[in-house]
Amino acid sequence: MKMEININPRLRLSPLVWILLTLMGIALVVALIRYIDGIGAISNLSYSYPWGFWISFDLFTGVAIGSGAFVMAAIVYIFELREFQPLLRPSVLTGFLGYIMVVIALLVDLGHPERIWYMMIHMNGTSVLLEIGICVMSYLTVLAIEFSPVLFEGLKWQRAAHTMHKYIMPFVILGVVLSTLHQSSLGSLLLIQPAKLYPLWWTPILPVLFFISAVSIGLAMIIFESTLSARYFHRGLEIHLLAKLARAIPIVLAIYLIVRFAQLAMQGDLQYLFNSGLMSILFWTEIMVGALLPLVLFSFKQVRQSANGLLAGAVILLAGMILNRFDVSWFAVRHPDPLTFIPSLMAFNAHYIPSLPELSISVGIFSAGILAFGLAAKYLPLFEKDEGHQPTGPR
Amino acid sequence: MSDIQNIKHKVFLFDATRCIDCRACMIACSVENKIEMNKTRIWVSGVGLTGEYPNLDRATMVYHCMHCEAPDCLSACPVGAYSKRADGPVLYDPSKCIGCRYCMNACPFGVPHFDYDKGIIQGAFIDKCTMCPQRIDAGLEPACVATCPTDALMFGERADLIKEAHDRIAAHPGRYINHVYGETENGGTSYLILSHVPFSELGLPDLGSTPVRNVSEAVMELTIPFALAWGAVLTGTAVGVHQFNQRKERLAEAEAKEKSEETK
Repeated sequence: MKMEININPRLRLSPLVWILLTLMGIALVVALIRYIDGIGAISNLSYSYPWGFWISFDLFTGVAIGSGAFVMAAIVYIFELREFQPLLRPSVLTGFLGYIMVVIALLVDLGHPERIWYMMIHMNGTSVLLEIGICVMSYLTVLAIEFSPVLFEGLKWQRAAHTMHKYIMPFVILGVVLSTLHQSSLGSLLLIQPAKLYPLWWTPILPVLFFISAVSIGLAMIIFESTLSARYFHRGLEIHLLAKLARAIPIVLAIYLIVRFAQLAMQGDLQYLFNSGLMSILFWTEIMVGALLPLVLFSFKQVRQSANGLLAGAVILLAGMILNRFDVSWFAVRHPDPLTFIPSLMAFNAHYIPSLPELSISVGIFSAGILAFGLAAKYLPLFEKDEGHQPTGPR
Repeated sequence: MSDIQNIKHKVFLFDATRCIDCRACMIACSVENKIEMNKTRIWVSGVGLTGEYPNLDRATMVYHCMHCEAPDCLSACPVGAYSKRADGPVLYDPSKCIGCRYCMNACPFGVPHFDYDKGIIQGAFIDKCTMCPQRIDAGLEPACVATCPTDALMFGERADLIKEAHDRIAAHPGRYINHVYGETENGGTSYLILSHVPFSELGLPDLGSTPVRNVSEAVMELTIPFALAWGAVLTGTAVGVHQFNQRKERLAEAEAKEKSEETK
């Protein structure tokens, strides 16, 4: 017998959406278990590894790939390169969603998520983490303001949208300052671990390196999301704009490489470059994939002017730079393991591999982000050219 | 260095050659501080047997909080849950803690530990050795010291115990490594260690006399001046670019006007 199933067309969802919803559901259940039974019930975090996959992926990577928003805002509003306007909205949205995802992940990772606002009443001025917390909270507000005109236009509140456009400049400048601070401070977080972070990564100028690489990641993210949006939301690709953006990437990466190697040389750490086993391999992989290869690729006009070339270059850069974030916050950090009673485990050889439920939290949050971007692309004027509302400069 | 010499309060002295691995200190600590059965504030680790029969040797290390003069946990904690008492103890206030575990990352000795087995209702906190301030205030030694049967753990004025440590090294130069760990490490600690095996074998990190926290604190001090300067630079750039563009537009307009008038 054949069953006749009538589904309301509004409820018919594509398989991709079902998959995303399922992943979100799994993460929700795992998070509930974490809140009831503790972080140890779902993760492999330990006394030796207080920070693991969540910090490397959700915080370090999440914040890094949100850097497209401030790079684009600076290009369009501060340097008034208005031709890049069509790329602004998607990158601000990616940043906005990215930072919301960071905060949600932190609410799982923090021992006392209900106390996150204590950062605003018990401030310890010497703590890098406090600076990051305050900057991320403030920047999330700025991103909401920067994104609000899109929402207002979607709701047909033209006057509200117009007012926001008019007064947006101070918020853009505040946003760029906050981004500079916390993008670099993510590097400063590790400054307190000179005894734990491998010398190929630990340097007093970690914040500078983090900022320079965040700019390159921002540019690559704009290329990445624009080419993907063009494919999946069937919109035109502003390839001439992306080609111009891509021209900046080799310059940024060259500065990054020079600063990085000059610092290693000045610190006298060049000796570790080739004889540190796994650490040397990680170092050279991230340098080759994250900086050298994209530097060469984006130097070719043919690569910059083809959609596939742009996408490939951006993906390679992102992979290498994300590896850098993982190295600094996890792979290259050697923790002592004092609570293990077994002899010989003391010598910096504690191990950590994230558990499946731990990964599922990050996957679920990431799925929610993709879904939210898709919904926004569908229902908000994300890709429309807003010629009626050119940004007004400072007066 | 002179600051390190001027530390005037009570500290621990642990002598690895005297420790017999009885772990009575752990029990005394847990009873005194009402620690759960499956947790501990003191942990004892051995490097196992070394050498060949009949010249066997073994070393045991008793780990406390080092109660640093310049505590890195205190510097790292975003909400100021840590404090340093003038008479030595580094204390933790659970009522402020947000559970970020940055102190665990910051501590070069891996001392603070976290309740991974507690949910949000029971409350998951950091725990660490407190130097028994309740006993110090009552004129007593910390529980672990009071119970140690071999005087491997001692408690007293810092200057006295440093002298005692160096006297022991001088009296038995063949027995001890010629160094008192904690005398200058990380800016000086309140837990001094004497050992007959290299300190790295006891799991102790190789630290200089400059506190680990100094670099990150120096960077943090630059933050607000940098933010103000950067904001000013960006505002200046934005205003400059805007005016340059407007002038260019006006010039272009004027030129266009001229041209159109010429054609007329």
